[in-house]
Amino acid sequence: MSHKHFRMIGLGVLWSLLIILVAACAAPASAPQPAQSGASTKPIVIGFTASQTGKLNVESKKQIQGMQLWLDDVKKAGGIKLADGTMVMPDIKFYDDESTTERVQALYTKLINEDNVDFLISPYSSGLAKAAAVVSEQNGKVMLTTGAADDATMEQGFKSTYQLYTPASRYLAGAVDLLGQMDPALKKIAIVHEKDSFSTSVANAANEYAKSKGYDVVLFEGYDTGTTDFSPFINKITAASPDAIMGGGHFQDGTTLAKQLYEKQVPVKFVALLVAPPEPKFVEIGDAANGIIGPSQWEPLVKYSPESASAANLPWYGPTVANFVSAYKAKYNEDPSYHAAGGYAAGLLLQKAIEDSGSLDAAKVQAALDKMDLLTFYGHVKFSTDAKTHGKQDAHSMVYMQWQKGADGKFVSQIVFPPEAKSADAQLRK
Amino acid sequence: MKTTATESRAVVGTRFGERIRLNLQPFYWLMLALILLAAFIPIVTGSSNLREQLFLVLMAVILASSVNIIMGYTGYVSFGHIVFFGIGGYIAFFLMLNYQVHLVPAALVAGIAASGLALLIGIPVLRLRGAYFALATIGINEAVRSFVNNFEPFGGSVGMFFNVQVFEAYGGSRNALWLAYYGIVAVALLTVTASYLIKRSKFGLGLMAIREDQDAAQVLGINPTRYKVAAYTISALFPALAGAIFFFKNGIIEPAPAFNLTASIVSLVAVMLGGFGTVAGPIIGGVVYDRLREFLLTSSIFSSLHVAIAGVLLLLIVLFVPAGLIGELRRRIPILRRFIE
Repeated sequence: MSHKHFRMIGLGVLWSLLIILVAACAAPASAPQPAQSGASTKPIVIGFTASQTGKLNVESKKQIQGMQLWLDDVKKAGGIKLADGTMVMPDIKFYDDESTTERVQALYTKLINEDNVDFLISPYSSGLAKAAAVVSEQNGKVMLTTGAADDATMEQGFKSTYQLYTPASRYLAGAVDLLGQMDPALKKIAIVHEKDSFSTSVANAANEYAKSKGYDVVLFEGYDTGTTDFSPFINKITAASPDAIMGGGHFQDGTTLAKQLYEKQVPVKFVALLVAPPEPKFVEIGDAANGIIGPSQWEPLVKYSPESASAANLPWYGPTVANFVSAYKAKYNEDPSYHAAGGYAAGLLLQKAIEDSGSLDAAKVQAALDKMDLLTFYGHVKFSTDAKTHGKQDAHSMVYMQWQKGADGKFVSQIVFPPEAKSADAQLRK
Repeated sequence: MKTTATESRAVVGTRFGERIRLNLQPFYWLMLALILLAAFIPIVTGSSNLREQLFLVLMAVILASSVNIIMGYTGYVSFGHIVFFGIGGYIAFFLMLNYQVHLVPAALVAGIAASGLALLIGIPVLRLRGAYFALATIGINEAVRSFVNNFEPFGGSVGMFFNVQVFEAYGGSRNALWLAYYGIVAVALLTVTASYLIKRSKFGLGLMAIREDQDAAQVLGINPTRYKVAAYTISALFPALAGAIFFFKNGIIEPAPAFNLTASIVSLVAVMLGGFGTVAGPIIGGVVYDRLREFLLTSSIFSSLHVAIAGVLLLLIVLFVPAGLIGELRRRIPILRRFIE
């Protein structure tokens, strides 16, 4: 076959692609089919974008898994019951946002107007959630943000956006307290963080909090998103000889930083990193994970229970921690991380709001969310009703986990702070 | 980047024969009419979904057409052209956030500032040739991104964001999103017009002469650096305007999405797909690539394969249709050269 023929075939393929595309775009998109329908069953769709590709895919994938498990549970239970006895059967619809804000607004508009979703869940990460909120607020759609902890996002006077995560400003405060509790003589902290919206907010808040507690922040340095070689930062850390390192960013950079700190044998007693350590996958870096502490929205060892709810005079809702963990393990063959728990909790709280309001009307569901104050396997949830911070998470608190090596040489994730939730004592690194 | 002898003759014919009749070509009016027709559909139907899709399509067209001015006409691959998109976005956002400047003047100031910067960068950098220039543009994008990452008035690494109340000045976020759409339609028409006028002007011929052989162009009396800098300066204006509108609509600007090198490469792919050095090529390329990306992203079958499929497509273009869709059509059917630029 001559080169000319090849060119003709190539051109043919390209133009065919063009025609297929135009045809595909012109064809009406098919709405997701409900799992089951009947006279008294009403299907609803919950829409969101997920970072299936790009730098946030690990965290985002767990979130979807959690949500999928919630969906399975609701379907098994026959749906969500409304006041008039109608059973609501939810389904989820999501698109890949490639971990960037570029297409988020277009995809949320598509979800609202073309796919006619009833409720929204936010994309993963604060930056993406902010862009999505512009569209959801504009359309008056209720959106639960999970995986978006930035404080500023929720201080815009939103009306129908609700935050599940403990805000970023409270991420590392507990780590500072834990350090003081473990050894008051350790006073020098190096803060090295990813330069993105979420991590910088956390680092700035930690910096102020540490200084207010009398700590000496000997290094405060940011690294670019996507950094894979931390040598220059590790050299600076070594030069500043801190007692503790705090910071990090997301899964990929946090894991690499922990690994390189271990390889370069940086002699610090305490390392607390964001997002990465609570992910079960983090332990794959082996000995480098030993002693690393991570602030976590939730851990499988948390002690929230119907009993603790009645002790705190709060209503309890949903599965117990043990039920959630065992169901998740059975479905995915791994421990759930806080991202997975956040995904499940997003569905669960929406379910509760629909049940409480007895309706699918956005205003009524919104009113139910405003009133919500309860304990679930995920912890205490209450949203701010103040006009300026409406929807911001008010009650949920962080726990701090640490990877500890057991006698059998296996790593276990233990809760080490706060004292009332801990499953083991925190250990200083050797 | 050599064209065939026939194409060169066509160019020369254009050079001497039709300089005065620049605006009378039916092709230009047809192109404008098609863009306007497409742009009117969401306005007439009130479909915000279609509006969002067309916004992204038009943005892809603007980015591809503007990079085509320096890459397609002049032969200088600007890998980091997205830097002007980011700069435009940041300057406009800064003005809107801190001085409550309306989107339109803020975008214009941002566009002029980005062009000014392109002028300053272009004077030294466009003395470089080929790969050296391409590498320099990547360096500029990275340097500006790092600068913005550490520049506190622009919010540093956290970026800047609007309180949603800001949109109240535009009659609420619904109206603001429509305003952004009208803005992007206007910028797209402006970009295509500029691209067409340059292609059909003596200035454009000078650029294409540089593309074919810079030394020979110089012998003919063209000052290559001055021509290239002028092309670079003009090509920086449109992405800056698009950036201003895009980030206004998004309500948030951060360094990573503003100076995203991948977006730069996507616009180069769109130019290659449609046909570099043509006016219609980047439009077709921008439309096809953006639609392909959205189709793959939202398709239940291909959603996890979209990156791989886009890669295969690029390979197909480079191997079989290096002149792009429009370029290949013009090459195969010579009579079309009279109608399609």
